[in-house]
Amino acid sequence: MGKYVLKRLGYVVLVFLIISFLMYALYNLIPTDPARAQLEPMRQQLRPDEYQVMYQQLRQQMGLDDSLLVRYLRWLGLWTDMDGTFNGMFQGNMGYSQFFKKDAVDVIIEPMGNTIFINIFSTILSLGITIPVGIYCAVHKGKKFDQGMQVVTILGYSIPIYIIALVFMYFFCVTWRIFPVMGSRTAGIIYANSWEAFVDKLYHFTLPVIVMTFGSLGGMTRYVRSSMIEALSMDYIRTARAKGLREKVVIYSHAWRNALLPVVTSIFGWFLSIFSGSVIIENTFALNGMGRLYWQGLNNQDFELVLAIQMFYTVVSLIGSLLIDISYGLVDPRVRVNK
Amino acid sequence: MANKKKKEFFLVRWFKRVFLGTDREVRSILEEEQVQTPLRTVVHNFVRKKSAMLGVIVFLCIFALVIIGPYIWKLDLSEQDSTLINLPPGYNMMSLPKETEGKVSDIAAGRTYGIGVDTDGHVYTWGHTRITDKIDIADIPEEVQEADLSLIAAGDDHAVALDENGQLYVWGNTRLRQDNFSRDMEKGMETGENWDIIQLEASNQFSAAVSSEGTLYLWGNPNMADVKIRSEYQGNIAKVALTANEYVSLLKDGTVAYTGYKGSGNPLASIPEGLTGKTVVDIASTGKTAAALTEDGEVYVWGNATSGEANLPVFSSRPVALYGGRFHYTALLEDGSVVSWGNNKYGQTDVPASLNGKEIVGIYTGNFQNYALDSEGNVHTWGLKGFLLGTDDLGRDMLTRIINGGRVTMTVGAISVVIATFIGVLLGGLAGYFGGKVDILVMRIAEIVGGLPFIPFAMILSAVIGSRIDPTRRMYLIMVVLGVLSWTGTCRLIRAQILAQREMEYVTAAKAMGISELSIVFRHIMPNVFSILLVSMTLDFATCMLTESTLSYLGFGIPLPTPTWGNLLDGANNSVVIQQYWWRWVFPAAIFGMCTICINLIGDGLRDAIDPKSNER
Repeated sequence: MGKYVLKRLGYVVLVFLIISFLMYALYNLIPTDPARAQLEPMRQQLRPDEYQVMYQQLRQQMGLDDSLLVRYLRWLGLWTDMDGTFNGMFQGNMGYSQFFKKDAVDVIIEPMGNTIFINIFSTILSLGITIPVGIYCAVHKGKKFDQGMQVVTILGYSIPIYIIALVFMYFFCVTWRIFPVMGSRTAGIIYANSWEAFVDKLYHFTLPVIVMTFGSLGGMTRYVRSSMIEALSMDYIRTARAKGLREKVVIYSHAWRNALLPVVTSIFGWFLSIFSGSVIIENTFALNGMGRLYWQGLNNQDFELVLAIQMFYTVVSLIGSLLIDISYGLVDPRVRVNK
Repeated sequence: MANKKKKEFFLVRWFKRVFLGTDREVRSILEEEQVQTPLRTVVHNFVRKKSAMLGVIVFLCIFALVIIGPYIWKLDLSEQDSTLINLPPGYNMMSLPKETEGKVSDIAAGRTYGIGVDTDGHVYTWGHTRITDKIDIADIPEEVQEADLSLIAAGDDHAVALDENGQLYVWGNTRLRQDNFSRDMEKGMETGENWDIIQLEASNQFSAAVSSEGTLYLWGNPNMADVKIRSEYQGNIAKVALTANEYVSLLKDGTVAYTGYKGSGNPLASIPEGLTGKTVVDIASTGKTAAALTEDGEVYVWGNATSGEANLPVFSSRPVALYGGRFHYTALLEDGSVVSWGNNKYGQTDVPASLNGKEIVGIYTGNFQNYALDSEGNVHTWGLKGFLLGTDDLGRDMLTRIINGGRVTMTVGAISVVIATFIGVLLGGLAGYFGGKVDILVMRIAEIVGGLPFIPFAMILSAVIGSRIDPTRRMYLIMVVLGVLSWTGTCRLIRAQILAQREMEYVTAAKAMGISELSIVFRHIMPNVFSILLVSMTLDFATCMLTESTLSYLGFGIPLPTPTWGNLLDGANNSVVIQQYWWRWVFPAAIFGMCTICINLIGDGLRDAIDPKSNER
């Protein structure tokens, strides 16, 4: 097991390096010149030749003339800066946000919490709904409930999530006025204590979480259902029933364990899609989350911040894949992870 | 009797059995045993599935609408009209209320509404009267309802009425001094001196009245409009014609003059030379041009004629009166017929055939509407009735944008699916057939690409590369980005299929015959996995459309003003739009949702039809 995890870890690191290098190269396609930007205020006071010398010096100092690979490694924190120290991502320096005039780390911290909160909340919620519903539909295949669910789920995964969000907004925010339309806190409020702040936040996050859950129900329910049907059609189920086992044991112990494997595989992609989806949800509901920050960063040309957030998404997806690979072995007895 | 009949029946049955074939039940068993080609089985299974067939029919309808529609509802990217913003769906802009039937005395056509006065002096409004949230032209003040009205005029956001006693009323938007009467006018209303009003006009935030004594009164927002008259012309005015922000006057001596103060450099002030020495009998104006009709029936148009106002038709007889809308003119001819010319975007110049042979006693033209009153008291209308699906925040027709947006979305979806399928089939085929190192490499690449968080990655690609290229190239870029990021599913599918097919006898046979390996993969194996590929392409098509629309919705897909089903919903996520301008998001969302649901239904149906397990009974 340990060896397998190590191998996967090595692979994850490799993929991380590849993706981050691609991202960094992409980011370098943007024609910006930080040295010129820094010198711009002083330009009026300097003579042209003096300015030129200072500009070249600054470029040297910032390491702008080095090769892409060196700059990349420096950005990661694996190569020394001009002053001989390591100051990159691994040292906690995620870059500087031009728009917020703050270190990217400080900008990211709060939205990251919000994003992780709503994502995990809605993941748990939708797994809690989809798995029982999927199993029920598979066991009662072809019955009225199953047929109804087939229609509902096809609606769920065909309709884009922002349309679902608009419809929910129309009913819950505009017609019935149960939830606020947007924002992550009540405007102008001063909280008496942290509990109140938490409740207010929860109140603002409820509808987005509901919408996210609703939007991800369709695909997952169908997946659980089809893999469960597959498992139920196997010979060992007939054997188990012939042995006279109780139906509950047959379904949950024999069929479900075997149906779980493809489900676990798909949870990986699904979890990622939820994170991607949260970009849309956060923008639609104007929530202070990573997705919205990312969107703002792209719109404001604040590319260092964008790069930092992109790294966050990449790390999330890689950790997700690692966890899935490991849980694979735990769930399915046939996969020998210590190979 | 009964016995005989039964016997006959038996005989008939026997006869049929011998010469025409077996009984029905027996035959139906044989039918089931009949061997069909796999394709026929698939088609048969597919057609039997109701939901899938429904999906096919609805999708084909939407597809036809989206492909043929743009030729009928042509898209004009620069289209914009501030007078038509946020109109709800409906065709009621020229529907006069029933009460006015047969007793109309005056009609004024406002931008999206109409006001009428009947012979009893009552006022009526129809059409879309709600100018903004607060201002509604249909909220007629009580004093106006009680007054005996004689003349009426409709501006862009205000209405003006004159009663029998010479009292003027203004309602609607009055915040920009639309109801700010001058001292002369107050005096005129009190004393009746110089106050026999014969003409009342209203335009964009200003209004004008002409008295029979030749005095022109102008009032309204002086920042926008030319609301002053040069003193040398005052007292000499016979008629006035208002454009959007200026006016021209017909003087009592039969000449036309620009009598305001904003004449320098204004194309409206350069009266055509052909008019000198001729007597003008009527003038009219559109938003930016003016027209004059001379005694001998010649029509001159001048000003900024960009919408074809100057393209005069051939008159069958002498015109006797001129009327102007926003971008078109209407003329009444001596023989009683009516001619319209100018911009025909909303059918303003399509004079209905029902006017033939009727004696026209009055024509009322304004904005995009025309009303003709015949001697029997019937009102004939032509022009803009309304919009089937309403308009958006720039006054663009939603129907046109939805249809054209559908074409863009479907094109982008289709091309990115083709790109994704091409890459997926190529790499999947290679990986599956050759295995080993190629397989490991391809699957690792697929894993990396598949592991990228899709929407953030597509956003950054579009933002970094897309900001430096023009919109058309950006559209191609989006197609490529979607294609390049979504091939992994197809690749995995094809690889798995080929791994299974590789062990089949026909591959061994092909190998034995010495056929090249590439040819085996792409010409022998590929046709066998085509049906499964078709299913995945169908489902991918829906996914690509979804992704494109999501990106466009977020502002990183196809940029405005090119419509797509995604960016039509851009800016719809605030409570004002959601509630008050519901047509701006409900219709695009509905047609898009319907389309993706249908595609998914088709894909599901196909999968079930192809799956051999579903044929088991």
